[in-house]
Parts: sequence; structure tokens; C-alpha cells
Amino acid sequence: MTMTDNKIGGSTEELVVEAGEAQRNRRPSRMNRVGDHLRREWQLYLLLLPTILWLLIFLYKPMYGLQIAFKDYSVFRGVAGSPWVGLEHFYTLFENDQFIRALRNTIYISLLGLVFGFPMPIILALMFNEVVNQLFKKTAQTIVYLPHFISSVIIAGIVITAFSPSAGIVNTVMGWFGLNPIYFLTKAEWFRPIFVGTGIWQEAGFQSIVYLAAIAGISPTLYESAVVDGATRFQMMWKITLPMILPTIIIMLIIRIGNMLEVSFEMIILLYQPATYETADVVNTFIYRQGIQGGQYDLAAAAGLFNAFVAFVLVMTANTISKRYSRTSLW
Amino acid sequence: MSGVRLDKIVKSYGAVQVVHGIDLEIKDKEFVVLVGPSGCGKSTTLRMIAGLEEISDGSLTIDDRVVNRVAPKDRDVAMVFQNYALYPHLNVADNIAFGLRIRKESKDAIKASVDEVGAILGLTPYLERRPSDLSGGQRQRVAMGRAIVRRPKVFLFDEPLSNLDAKLRTQMRAEIKRLHKRLEATSIYVTHDQVEAMTLADKIVVMQDGRIEQIGTPMELFLNPANAFVAGFLGAPPMNMINAVVAKGENGPIASFDGQTLPLPALPDLQNAEGRPIIVGIRPEYANIVTAPQPGSVNCTLNLVETLGSEALLHATVGDDQFVIRTETLGKIDQLDHVNGFTVDPTLIRIFDAKTGKALGGQTRVA
Repeated sequence: MTMTDNKIGGSTEELVVEAGEAQRNRRPSRMNRVGDHLRREWQLYLLLLPTILWLLIFLYKPMYGLQIAFKDYSVFRGVAGSPWVGLEHFYTLFENDQFIRALRNTIYISLLGLVFGFPMPIILALMFNEVVNQLFKKTAQTIVYLPHFISSVIIAGIVITAFSPSAGIVNTVMGWFGLNPIYFLTKAEWFRPIFVGTGIWQEAGFQSIVYLAAIAGISPTLYESAVVDGATRFQMMWKITLPMILPTIIIMLIIRIGNMLEVSFEMIILLYQPATYETADVVNTFIYRQGIQGGQYDLAAAAGLFNAFVAFVLVMTANTISKRYSRTSLW
Repeated sequence: MSGVRLDKIVKSYGAVQVVHGIDLEIKDKEFVVLVGPSGCGKSTTLRMIAGLEEISDGSLTIDDRVVNRVAPKDRDVAMVFQNYALYPHLNVADNIAFGLRIRKESKDAIKASVDEVGAILGLTPYLERRPSDLSGGQRQRVAMGRAIVRRPKVFLFDEPLSNLDAKLRTQMRAEIKRLHKRLEATSIYVTHDQVEAMTLADKIVVMQDGRIEQIGTPMELFLNPANAFVAGFLGAPPMNMINAVVAKGENGPIASFDGQTLPLPALPDLQNAEGRPIIVGIRPEYANIVTAPQPGSVNCTLNLVETLGSEALLHATVGDDQFVIRTETLGKIDQLDHVNGFTVDPTLIRIFDAKTGKALGGQTRVA
């Protein structure tokens, strides 16, 4: 007797359909599974809740206001009541010489920071890793970590004092060699090196912690094996330490590229002056001047949105390239 | 000649001495296994030979040259590590070639060497793979490839099989043995696994608490252990130990314990030694099961029978001492649950001093 002859259960096709339905009925729905999961793991979700709230309130809710980049915004009409103007503000921005200058400066300063600032924490971490004397190592680490914990205002004060033409250490030393004093902070050509140098001094030590942690995770037997093979300390650093921390370097690079246009706003505001706008004015300071000081919130929102869009494209591109060539990526 | 000699080697960490002046001579082409429990100093000794640990005192000679102050790279040794120590960012070929590249050998020579080693170890199809794409056994072979590609005078193995599962360990053990026969290089192998020691070694060095307890061939150590520690360490299951005192029997000395007696070999040390506390050592394989008391048999209480197929392990107690009997199952399977005693040939019994644990002198050496 074939299955189709079996009238008790119906045809084979019917049996299969019925079996499938029965299985679906037995299997809890997706919603039920999510509900069960939440009930079971509610403590973990409770821990997550503050972060989710923070994200919603401070990062997602403000996105509602982004629409003013496409509106002729009036504080009296509000966000919803202001009329749409399409891409008008973006056209205005790209016709504005100050914005173009700010964009150029942002990219220039970011690239300088990337080229000179990004490798510095890696070099520091590699150097710290080679220090044998623990007391010296800890003292040196504390000294280079310290600037990170000092307020930007104080850092700016130190920089202004150090480069002062009258009492600054830099000009004093230059004086010893018979050089005329320079008022560095009023010279546009000196702003970028001073700004990038200050950033490296302030953050390189602290950023090196990430790489030191990555180095600490390397198995000591890799080095022992290399020692038996005859590798020198430099060869071990070059052939073991660096490749082993490369995934961390790549992740940090992608994050850095994502934040490339986020040039340290406070430090620029604290150090720049009209005499150095030519090289110091960046997109964020432009937004601050136009939006907050000039009351052109819609234009500033358009500039900020453009900034975010470029950062998004950069981080996506960097992640894709990294994924393809190094098997390391953020997602 | 690539012999290795350790003369009164000491290792101290600050005030703590962990290796207490050991002497050891390893001949050219010999496969020596350092075996002992965790913390006995075997790995430290190996690392001192490799140059990864400084020698606190004594002298280390490799190939008739004192190498105490010689850098690891100049000792001409290669080491295989417990966790393989493979570089995850390099493929198999590059891992094997690492040491040669460091020594700046020519590209052609490196390629030829890597290909040869790959063929010896059966790694040719995997040369382009990364370590993460290999199985545990394959990784272990790459680690060995890294060592043999340099053709060093001495190979050092630091528990190389301990991360592998039992089946793979057996397979790799055989491969190491074959490799040693093929390369004929002096090899020093550290393990805490006595099976590895017994199967691989030309000579076993048993260590405990930073001291050498005994040196000898596997069968010498198995049959004639120098003390109760060695007797208990080698052999699976280990030698049974029964605490007893010497008594006078009709035909010679006997061991008296728990109201029972056992004939002992007529050793000079046991003459006129009535009342002397001793440890009677009986290998599980040398006990013959009985199901009814016989003259000269020892009664025991059977607790558990573990049937392993062709043989079985009988776990019993003799007085307060645990006692394991290993017996064949063929023709005896029905008797196993009814075992209540055993007999043993007195010449196969090992006697140890109860205080010092040392084997009593004058025992017939079992060949």
C-alpha cells in the first residue's frame, strides 16, 4: 500500500502540509521567543537600558533637528513650521569661500594629524614594550599619559605661554642662538604644526594604552621561539609585535578615519585668532561662528550634516578596504 | 658529536632554588626524556639548555663547548613549544622559513629547505595556509618543521603533545619517534606523561622537586625503580604500594600487614630486619588473581572492575592501601567479579624503605 492509498492520513501532499503546520504550531513564534529571552535575561537588558536611553536622547532625538539643513529655519516657526528649501543651504555653503577654506583646513589638519599623530602612539607603545627597567617604564608612562588628563584650556594656556614672544621657552631658546623672536600664534604658517604637535603631545601617550594592551596579549612563547631562532630585539618588534598588533592598528585607523573631520574644536577655538583663520579655521569653528554666533542655524546644520556624511563615507570606505585586504574590520 | 652535559646545574629565582645541582650526560643522537610531576623543574632545565633561562650555577656543555653565557641563537638548538608558538600572521611556509630568514639564508635555499621539510612532515598541501586554518596535529607538525628546518645539533621539546587529544597524541608520538630515527639528532623531550616517556625515550630522567631521582632506559626504570617515587610515577596504572613490616617466615623474610603475610625476596637488607617498616611494591601486571584463598595469597576486597576489552583493571583494597590488579580478560571474564585475593612471584616484588623511600639494596635486577 502506498502513502496515497492511505486514507487515514490523506494524500502524501496533505500529510506533508499538515506536518509542516503542526511543526510551526509547536515552534514558538519569533515574538514569543524574544519575550522569553527578555524575561530570562532581563537583568542584562536593565544594565543596557541607560546606554540605550543616552543614545536615544542625545544622538537620535537631535536627528529630528537635522531637517533644518533643508529648511529656511526660523526660531519663531520652529523646526516643523519652517518652509523647505531643498539643497539651497548646501549650494550656499559651496559658494562660500570661508566654508571652502574651512573644509580645506579641516582636511589638511586631519591629514597632518593622521600622518604624524596616528603612528606616534604605536611607536610609543613599541618603545615602552622594549623598556626593561620597570621603574623607568612606569615613570615614563605616567609622564606621557598626564597631558590627556589636563583640561584643553590649560593645555592652550601652556602652549600660548610656551610660544609667547616675550617669556616663552621656545623664543628664549631661540634667543640663545641669536634668532629673533617669532610670535608663532599670530603666524598662519605656524598654526598647523603647533596645533598638530600639541594634539600629539596631549593624546599620544594615552592612546598608546590600547596598543600596549594589544602587545600584552601576544604570547611570550612567540618571542622565545624567535630568540632561539636568533632574532634580534628589532627583528622581533618588526616581525612579531607589529604584525600581531596590526588588527588593533587597523581598527584604530578606521575609527580615526571616521573621526577625521572632527578636528579638536575647543583647541582651535582657544588657539586661533583672525590672523590665523587662513590656516586655522575648520568646519566645526565655521559652524560655531555661523550657527551660534551668526544665528544661521540652518546653514550651520547643513555644514554639520555634510561633515557627518563625509565621515560616514570615509569610515565605510576604510572598513571595506580593510576587510578586503587584511581580513580585519569594524563590522 | 652533539652531546649535552649538565654539571651541577642550579637555577634560583632570588632566594628560592628550584633546580638543585643536577648532573646529566646526554650522548650524541640520544633521545632523552625528562619526566616528572608539574613543578619538578624539568621545563626549567630544558629552558636553561635552550638559553631562555639563565643558569644560576654549574656548567652546561653542548658539543664539548661550555655555553652558559652563549646566546640561544649560537647554541645551535631548536625548540618545539607546548603551544606550538606559530606566528598567526604567517602561512605555514613562512612559519617554517622564519628561522632561516632571520639568519638571512638565500631565497632558493630557504625554498628548498621548506619544501623538503614540508614533504617529510606531510605538510606540502598546507604550505600556503595560515595556522588558524590547520588542525592541532598539523600545527604541531608545523612547529616541528620550524625546528628541523634549521638542522640544529640539539632538538628540545617542551611538552609538545599536551594540547592534543589522546588519539592524535598517540599518532604524533609515533611520528616524533620516526622523525628522530630519520634525523638522528640529539633530542631532549620534556613531558609529565609517563606513557610518552616510556615510548619515546632512549633514556628517561625522572625528576622531582628540582632533583633527578633516577636515570635509565625505560625498562630499567620500570623494572628496577630506584625509589618509591619512580616506582609510583612510571607505569599505568602505577605500582601498588603496601605499607608493611618485615617479619621472619619459615623460608625467609616475609612482609606482615593487616594480619596477612607475603613472602619477600631474600635480600641482604631484610636479613635480621624483623620489625623494620617497609613499602612493598607490586606492579598491577604482576599480581595473579585468585577467587579462593591459596597458600601465599593475599586477601583483598574488590571494589570495582573496569573492563578495557582484552584486559581489565580490578580496583581493590588491601587493609588501608588501594591496590589495582591488571589482568587479561580472555578466559577469566566470569571470575573477575569474584576475585578476593592475589598471588605474586616474590622475585617481582620491589621493596622500599618506609622512611627514605629508597629501594632496598641487593634486589635481583629484573631483566
